[in-house]
Amino acid sequence: MSAIKTLLHWTVRRTAPLAGSLAKPLAAPAAALLCLAAQPGLALGPEITRAGHGAAPGTEAAAPRLKPLPPPSLNFYGSPGLIDMPSAEMLPDGQYAVTYSWFGGTSRYNITFQALPWLSASFRYNGIQDLGLFGFDTYYDRGFDVRARLWRERRWLPEVTLGLQDFAGTGVYAAEYFAATKRFEAAALGWGRAPGRLKLTAGLGWGRLGSHGAIGATGGTRPSFVGGSTGGKLATDQWFRGDVAPFAGFEWQPDARWSLKAEYSTDAYETETEVSDVFERKSSLNYGVEYQYSDRLRLGAYYLYGSEIGFTAQIQLNPNQPPTPMAVPAPHPVIPRSQWATQDSHWRQDWAASQSKQRQIRDLAAAALKADGLVLEAITLEGTRAELRYRNPRYRSAGQAAGRAARALAQTLPPSVETFRLVPVRRGLGLAAIEIRRSDLEALEFDPEAADALFAAAGVQDAGPLPEDAIFSGELYPAFATSVSPYTKPAYFDPEQPFRLDAGVDFAASYAPAPGWRIAGTIRQRVLGNVKNGRASNSVLPHVRTDQVEYAQFGTTLENLYVSRLWKPGRNLYARATTGLFESMYGGVSGEMLWKPVNSRLGLGLEANYVVQRDFDQRFGFRDYRTFTGHASAYYELPKGYLMQVDAGRYLAGDYGGTFSLTREFDNGFMVGGFFTLTNVSSEDFGEGSFDKGFRFRIPVDWLLGKPSRSGFGLTIRPTQRDGGQRVTVPDRLYGSVREAHRKSLEDQRARFWE
Amino acid sequence: MSMIRFTAAALAAAALLLAGCSRGPEKAPAELEVVQAVGDLIGRRRTPPPPPAGLTRALLDQQPQPYIEVTIENRGATAYLTRALERRDSHPGQIEVWRTQDNVSVAFRQGMVIATRGLGGGLLSAQVPAADGVAGPAQGGARRYTVRANGNGQAVLNMACSLHDLGPKPVEIVEITHPARHLQERCDGSGGAVVNDYWVDSRPGSTRVWQSRQWAGPETGYVKIRQLRR
Repeated sequence: MSAIKTLLHWTVRRTAPLAGSLAKPLAAPAAALLCLAAQPGLALGPEITRAGHGAAPGTEAAAPRLKPLPPPSLNFYGSPGLIDMPSAEMLPDGQYAVTYSWFGGTSRYNITFQALPWLSASFRYNGIQDLGLFGFDTYYDRGFDVRARLWRERRWLPEVTLGLQDFAGTGVYAAEYFAATKRFEAAALGWGRAPGRLKLTAGLGWGRLGSHGAIGATGGTRPSFVGGSTGGKLATDQWFRGDVAPFAGFEWQPDARWSLKAEYSTDAYETETEVSDVFERKSSLNYGVEYQYSDRLRLGAYYLYGSEIGFTAQIQLNPNQPPTPMAVPAPHPVIPRSQWATQDSHWRQDWAASQSKQRQIRDLAAAALKADGLVLEAITLEGTRAELRYRNPRYRSAGQAAGRAARALAQTLPPSVETFRLVPVRRGLGLAAIEIRRSDLEALEFDPEAADALFAAAGVQDAGPLPEDAIFSGELYPAFATSVSPYTKPAYFDPEQPFRLDAGVDFAASYAPAPGWRIAGTIRQRVLGNVKNGRASNSVLPHVRTDQVEYAQFGTTLENLYVSRLWKPGRNLYARATTGLFESMYGGVSGEMLWKPVNSRLGLGLEANYVVQRDFDQRFGFRDYRTFTGHASAYYELPKGYLMQVDAGRYLAGDYGGTFSLTREFDNGFMVGGFFTLTNVSSEDFGEGSFDKGFRFRIPVDWLLGKPSRSGFGLTIRPTQRDGGQRVTVPDRLYGSVREAHRKSLEDQRARFWE
Repeated sequence: MSMIRFTAAALAAAALLLAGCSRGPEKAPAELEVVQAVGDLIGRRRTPPPPPAGLTRALLDQQPQPYIEVTIENRGATAYLTRALERRDSHPGQIEVWRTQDNVSVAFRQGMVIATRGLGGGLLSAQVPAADGVAGPAQGGARRYTVRANGNGQAVLNMACSLHDLGPKPVEIVEITHPARHLQERCDGSGGAVVNDYWVDSRPGSTRVWQSRQWAGPETGYVKIRQLRR
């Protein structure tokens, strides 16, 4: 205990003599508040949910809650922290934070994702007005941060976090730090009935965070920041080298909405104030006040460096906390056969011999499925077994779709059918077979452990071939589908204008002549947009992706037009063949094969494409660039919804290499991930950024609207779009849709089976 | 000129958005689903649902089937439900499923809420202290709620309860007073406290819960249920 107490003393006292002018304003209230806080070591994890203070039993405030406590506030870099300085806090697992901050001509847009409980990553786009350096008037840059918690807060021990700021870009904000934060909670700290909170933070910074008030240096001289370089390399030669300076500050939260912050900053802003003249740094003390406007939005106003006014807007989302909880129309309960099949004659199997009775049953089942938004593709009826092949255009959760399909069968099939084999189908491809006994369905619906019990009793297998005596739906094959819908297409990070957008309408049509076959096309009409005013390509590689602006000159285009076939060549195997115009830039022929056993977390794939670059007008013409591109891929499902994918092969510009991507997919479809590609293109040839990398995310429509949908808004953002390490986009790639219906996904979604 | 062109383009875009549609056995595009959802929302704002008719015994007597009235306290929403199913399973207690016309259902075991559907973030299943022939909770002890949480997952809330008989307390439901006893279940656990109240028929042999106020999970909160039959 005493050693831990010493550490706490260190965090408070060490700052006082060193911080000079900070000593008086900060140390006095800190000491006073420390005395007030009778119980200093309240280690509050964000995952703890507690009932309201002093709420009467029987009220909602006293009942168990699943809503998390308010998350930590963020700093100007979008990470948990004070004002310009970081703290040691972590956001709740999976949290997504988007922040905008502005002061003294410096604006920063930050996106932070809490990838693991102890690890977060940020991406930042910043602009420094009137910097007048490196050939830009306003200097725009991008950067990545990563933070790792070394240990959690305990009774007397502060939370300690290691951070690398702007560690891979050109490094205008490059800094490394250790920060320690201790939280206190006491009634005396609050101004209402609920107790208030105080957070004390102290740390050591290198790089930018060691540029003012240094107390020493480690590892020799730090290589300095060079603006306008290609960037993209890990700046390992800089990390924890050069001057080191201690910073400190506190955040006082007298109630749930307000907080007051003060800090001593060790960022000298040399580039902004000495090399250039963006603002004047008169003091090292910053002050601020923040207000939690709503559950998701927090606003702050600040006075920084003795001369500047600043403000922030912080938006935090958690994929596990949808804005509207998902409400699905209640299913009709399963009525046990014992209630309606009361005579022996009801249980006979002679209906199975009659074609017309089978058709009648098929139509009844199709109508029941349709009421739940599912589409009967084919059904195979035997005396005691039935195999249903169905499409699921409505539910994201394959488990929920299977539950609804099972209920529809229980409602419509003759009593003698005891085994249901449910085969979800996508584009004619059987994805898996879920085998359920009808008696289990009847017995377990109201069981206290309904979801776990049913999943334990169900079997998940390979879909297998389509049975020969399957009766197809009368309404499909051939089937025609059309849609008219709006679209948007963004372009990012042009120094002239960081964000551009095209918007318009897509007219799409598809025709399915037989199971697995599909002919589809989309005509795109732009209505407004400014992507066409972007930068022309300066790439020395074949312009496989950087001619975006040339393509954007045309407003009425044929987005795609292709024929595809999906089929199952064997057990655990899935195949696709596509030919036509795949996307706005490429057309050709493409083949793919995937091996993915239903119960395995590993999948292996092979894809080969021969593609020709399309004309800029995106009609039927082609340019004279043609190439072979193809990859071998390995997919692995890790715990906590992480998906790892490794691809190796030949990319569009003829370069060879590999892509590594790590994605976290929440079971409600929310997805966040990052990737990088290394190929044999040198960083000089690649240009800005040195190699291809980026991140992607998807926000599901059902998460936004609180009602079932399979759609989502996805974005892939690259700090720079270049020509190295690029792949062609082919519609209906296999892995995503196949994985969705396999064991891991069904198990994760088992709670939704009965819903 | 450019302003006119911009306005024309914006009008064209708006017209096309409204004209957005999809046909055929394929999934609708995401943009379209959002546009339609927003349209629905605006439609609902414009035409709020009609206020419920005043409830009288004469009106209830005309109904061919029994109704229950369910009020969700935190939404101030009241609905009238009809019975969709009555059955038993391997656990003690009679199961009843009641349902609204707009597809919300509540399931009970001996008058205790064991599941809600169609409400959003509902109660998936529950273990309740039911016994055959006893209305409402038969004893104190463990209660377990499985609720929707963490996206598409579930969370289990375990609670320890004690049962208290607060004596005879007749209840009046739409012009009829039923003889009843007031039972109270006080539960603690999973970081909170819950109190469930039941007004059970006090006539011998009856297992009817005339009225109750029960907790149905963190999202739905407390619900009040009244039996409207005679």
